Amino acid sequence: MTPMNWTCEHIEERLSDYLDGLLSPDERHAFDMHANTCENCSQMVASISHLVSDLHSIEQIETPPRLVYAILNQTLGPRAAKTGWQASFGWLRGLASARFAYYGVSVAATLLILLMASGISLRKPKLADLAPGNVYRNIDGQAHRAYAHTAKFVSDLRVVYEIQSRLNKDNELPTAPESTVPQSSPGKNPGSTDGSKPATPRQQNRANGIGRELEILATEVPVVSGQLCGRLLGRRIP
Amino acid sequence: MAPCNFWGKLVTVAGYEADDTLEQDAQLVQHCLQGDGSAWEELVRRHTRRIFNICYRFTGNGTEAEDLSQDVFLRVYKTLGSYRSAHGGFATWMTSVTRNLLIDHYRRTKRDRITDSLEDAMPVVENKESAGRRPDQQLLLGELSSQVQTALTKLSPELREAVILRDLQQLDYNEIRQALDVPEGTVKSRINRGRIELARILQQMGVRPS
Repeated sequence: MTPMNWTCEHIEERLSDYLDGLLSPDERHAFDMHANTCENCSQMVASISHLVSDLHSIEQIETPPRLVYAILNQTLGPRAAKTGWQASFGWLRGLASARFAYYGVSVAATLLILLMASGISLRKPKLADLAPGNVYRNIDGQAHRAYAHTAKFVSDLRVVYEIQSRLNKDNELPTAPESTVPQSSPGKNPGSTDGSKPATPRQQNRANGIGRELEILATEVPVVSGQLCGRLLGRRIP
Repeated sequence: MAPCNFWGKLVTVAGYEADDTLEQDAQLVQHCLQGDGSAWEELVRRHTRRIFNICYRFTGNGTEAEDLSQDVFLRVYKTLGSYRSAHGGFATWMTSVTRNLLIDHYRRTKRDRITDSLEDAMPVVENKESAGRRPDQQLLLGELSSQVQTALTKLSPELREAVILRDLQQLDYNEIRQALDVPEGTVKSRINRGRIELARILQQMGVRPS
């Protein structure tokens, strides 16, 4: 069969071989030669190609769950009921699964958190810790302490943030280097300046105020802001 | 048997999985023949879905497919001693048993279908396309799958089984040849004619390929 003499019948006859890649290179060439020039064959190739693609994309149907048991019952007979110790401990088989281990760890972690929150000492557990009144007091105390710690931490953060924002504002203000401190009027003309902007009294007051605030902050919040203020002021603050 | 499964899941390199499955099946059959019930149970679990799908695609009816699947496994269980691994894989052998039962079932129910088709010709208030299939089944299959299923039942049994094994079960030509016990040329011809015929039926149903 030469490339020149393939007909529509040949194309139809060898269509699946073409789609399944079973044609030799020469045959494939002949197939393409005809299919590219014949509109009917071209449409047929496209149609069957899409159909095969669709068929391959269809997923397998799920088996009815009872089918396996029905087959096993028919072939092996009804499952013999387990007796004795096997029946008693049969439920343990279900525990040997990853899912059960995950649940177990989750429950243990939750219990541990609850015990810690209720203030029960795990090192020296006492029966009195489990009394409802003691549990309530412990939880109440823990909650208040946690709230106080949180409030203090937020307050510290707010102070530090305020200082940082004030310093940033201060840095953004135009500063006057010493070389631009107003000199005598150029040309000895009273009232005329050299165009530079000297530090105003207001800026000086502001800088002094920030310095004082930092020192007060360092005494109030010695741990967090002491280091920051010391770094900012360039000296160690007691 | 458990180590067998474990290593089977670990081997995922393309090309080796099929050989691995064949080997596992052969080992399970050997254990079954030695009276190991758990080996048989494992074989049933491994092949039930595939056999049920072939039966469902051929008959287009879930209940019939379940009954036929049970018949297939019952026959396989009784004739397991006649299986020879040298003649092909266990799955191919099972497919061959399934195919023989399906053809028997087709011939047995031919008279019923003729009666049914006469009744179908009578004017009834029912969508012809969805006849014999419950709405939940149609949802399960999906639209395309449902349309293909309807079209498949209109093919002759020879073409239908060839298309099901090749394009839905994706067996190779050699496996189909062994399962159907016909020459390879006949397999190719049936697959080709089956595809063309199926496309024509779908076109008549107004289904456009995606």
